[in-house]
Amino acid sequence: MSEDRFDVIIVGAGPAGSTAAYILAGAGKEVLLIERGDEPGAKNMTGGRLYGHSLEKIIPGFAQEAPLERRIVKETVSFLTSDTSVSFDLQSELLGSGGKESYSVLRAEFDCWLAKKAEKAGAILVTGIRVDDLFMEEGRVKGVIAGEDIMEAGVVILADGVNSLLAQKIGMKQELKPHQAAVGAKEIIELPGEVIEDRFNLHEGEGAARLFVGDCTKGRIGGGFLYTNKKSISLGLVFTLSDLQSWEKTVPEMVEDFKHHPAVSPLIKGGRTLEYSAHLVPEAGYSMIPKLYGDGVVVVGDAAGFVINIGYMVRGMDLAIASGEAAAKAIISAHDVYTTQALSRYRKLLEESFVIRDLKQYSKFPAFLNNKRIFNEYPQLIAELMTDFFSVDGSPVPPMMKRILKPVKKVGLMKVASDVWKGVRAL
Amino acid sequence: MKKIVACYKWVADEADIRIDEKSRALNFDRVKYKISEYDRNAIEVGNSLKDKYSCEFVAVTCGAQVESSLKDVLSRGPTNVYYINDEILADADGGVTAKVLAGIIKKIGAVDLVICGEGSGDEYGQQVGPRLAALLGYASCTFVTKLDLTDEGLMAERKLEDGIEVVQVQGPAVVTVLPDINTPPIPTLKQILGAKKKPTTKLSLKDIGLSRDACAPKLKNIGVLGTVMERKGICMNIDGLSIQEAAEKLAKRLSADGILG
Ligand SMILES: Cc1cc2nc3c(=O)[nH]c(=O)nc-3n(C[C@H](O)[C@H](O)[C@H](O)COP(=O)(O)OP(=O)(O)OC[C@H]3O[C@@H](n4cnc5c(N)ncnc54)[C@H](O)[C@@H]3O)c2cc1C
Repeated sequence: MSEDRFDVIIVGAGPAGSTAAYILAGAGKEVLLIERGDEPGAKNMTGGRLYGHSLEKIIPGFAQEAPLERRIVKETVSFLTSDTSVSFDLQSELLGSGGKESYSVLRAEFDCWLAKKAEKAGAILVTGIRVDDLFMEEGRVKGVIAGEDIMEAGVVILADGVNSLLAQKIGMKQELKPHQAAVGAKEIIELPGEVIEDRFNLHEGEGAARLFVGDCTKGRIGGGFLYTNKKSISLGLVFTLSDLQSWEKTVPEMVEDFKHHPAVSPLIKGGRTLEYSAHLVPEAGYSMIPKLYGDGVVVVGDAAGFVINIGYMVRGMDLAIASGEAAAKAIISAHDVYTTQALSRYRKLLEESFVIRDLKQYSKFPAFLNNKRIFNEYPQLIAELMTDFFSVDGSPVPPMMKRILKPVKKVGLMKVASDVWKGVRAL
Repeated sequence: MKKIVACYKWVADEADIRIDEKSRALNFDRVKYKISEYDRNAIEVGNSLKDKYSCEFVAVTCGAQVESSLKDVLSRGPTNVYYINDEILADADGGVTAKVLAGIIKKIGAVDLVICGEGSGDEYGQQVGPRLAALLGYASCTFVTKLDLTDEGLMAERKLEDGIEVVQVQGPAVVTVLPDINTPPIPTLKQILGAKKKPTTKLSLKDIGLSRDACAPKLKNIGVLGTVMERKGICMNIDGLSIQEAAEKLAKRLSADGILG
């Protein structure tokens, strides 16, 4: 091996890149993992929930050693109007067991841990370096270019996240269009652990996940989320960029309003904002998957658009991890011949895994979500319905059916029926 | 071939220090460390002299947790780094630091030029350089903004309050540099990878013949309090007030609080 050559160069030390590095180094490959942040995870953000299944397969018992915040045992979905909130609450031991475990995480710690795992397995991690371009020869990817330096590799893995400029540069991917991405903004709000446990009714180590639909996005397609960490709360919004032009408020203003919503402000009362960040979320799902491999190159994680965003939840980290694993396996079985043909095994492995299956499963969902009624009329409808049920002021009580139909009629009975049907089919 | 040493301090990144609003105490929980900014200038001076005159160029440091700094400093040019990592140095003052650095430099032997930052990024005591010169018996040259080697020693420009002084030094010297002297480049991919292959030389206090008693600081920091900005967390346009109305409300409130005249 010459000074300037590695078997594999991986661009980006997020969950996708570090997982691939971990597996490849473990298999004896010479791996260089390059991250532009000063530390892995330094600039990364996520809502905050990791579904553990895909990492568990790669690092059994990872929850024992990884810097996880809380194991989620409580799920709440709330429909918001400006003054009302209707919530469905699920608290179950079954949520956090039997392979369905999910955990709140903070990226600064989690990404560092995973990258260090890769380093310990033998990968060389370099931080504070941005890869500017891919080094091409005879139409194939032969390495990376960072500043003045060219570093050669047998194969390059692009794990550089949602707006992968590198995949765009070599024509594997189009520039993101507004309808293909959502924007996420979030704050990390510091609160003592005991306060969090009291407020959310949790035992030590247990966590709550809350999702919000309706007023928090001002009726726009998207939702709000809240995850409890050990000593902080991750609170944020995700919404589509497609109607960006018609926005009246800026993203930070929307977050600020969300924090002041009567259903939210008591949850974060007395807390101090430690961090504000914003980030893109790939949104178009299955229809947006780019070219996944080429001569000397594969694309993984967010860079490949592997995210399931269905309004009330965003799932990307478990897909990033699984796609990093699939890429690593395909590279190992290519036996140092990294042609398009040899790397096509990557796509095959993805198709056999949950990644493509789940993306297909939800493939109609982005279109379904494009229905603004879900974010406007329906939260209003549910709020009216429930408020009506629980309001007693001495006036005569109309029959049950009439009470249900009154708000439904406002939206239109047929519309409601058709939306329910479409929603069921999309899932 | 001349032998050049750059000294550096591994300091807390001030951007990560948080201040407790009530007690105003500094919170170092999430703090990362870095090579003190001024010392990066010192290292770059050494690096460019190395390239210009093919000198031997190494780095020197001491402290309580300096091991995490080694790869970083080596990516900035020196071919080796000599260091002492000892818990007892956590509270070292400028006097102790100078003693330890002088010990390491004597151990390296026959050093022609020692370069330091004018002061450290955390305390900026401006003592280490001149003290080091005294302990080594070298000439001391401070506030340097330009430096070049001569056959007998060096030429330097010193930036003083009322002008620039040009000095010539015979024999070995300790020079402290100001940030104006250069712009330290950010290490490149190859430099970072190269650093991983360079040697490091670990020494102990015993190796340089310094007793633990000699490392007790004479100057002790007995308290630091941060300044906090008081925020009342009042939001003026929360109930959908127009900007106009909110501004009026704000103006009233400020004058009620006696802030507006
Ligand atoms: C608001 C929001 C909420 C979300 N909520 C969840 C959730 O609750 N659960 C979930 O599973 N997923 C969630 N996601 C999605 C999840 O965060 C992503 O899918 C996941 O981080 C993708 O991992 P990755 O490794 O592919 O990319 P990233 O995590 O984006 O990592 C890419 C890395 O590459 C580096 N990089 C980029 N370009 C270069 C370059 N040129 N040179 C060197 N390095 C480079 C970056 O610095 C970064 O470290 C959320 C996303 C957002 C924005």
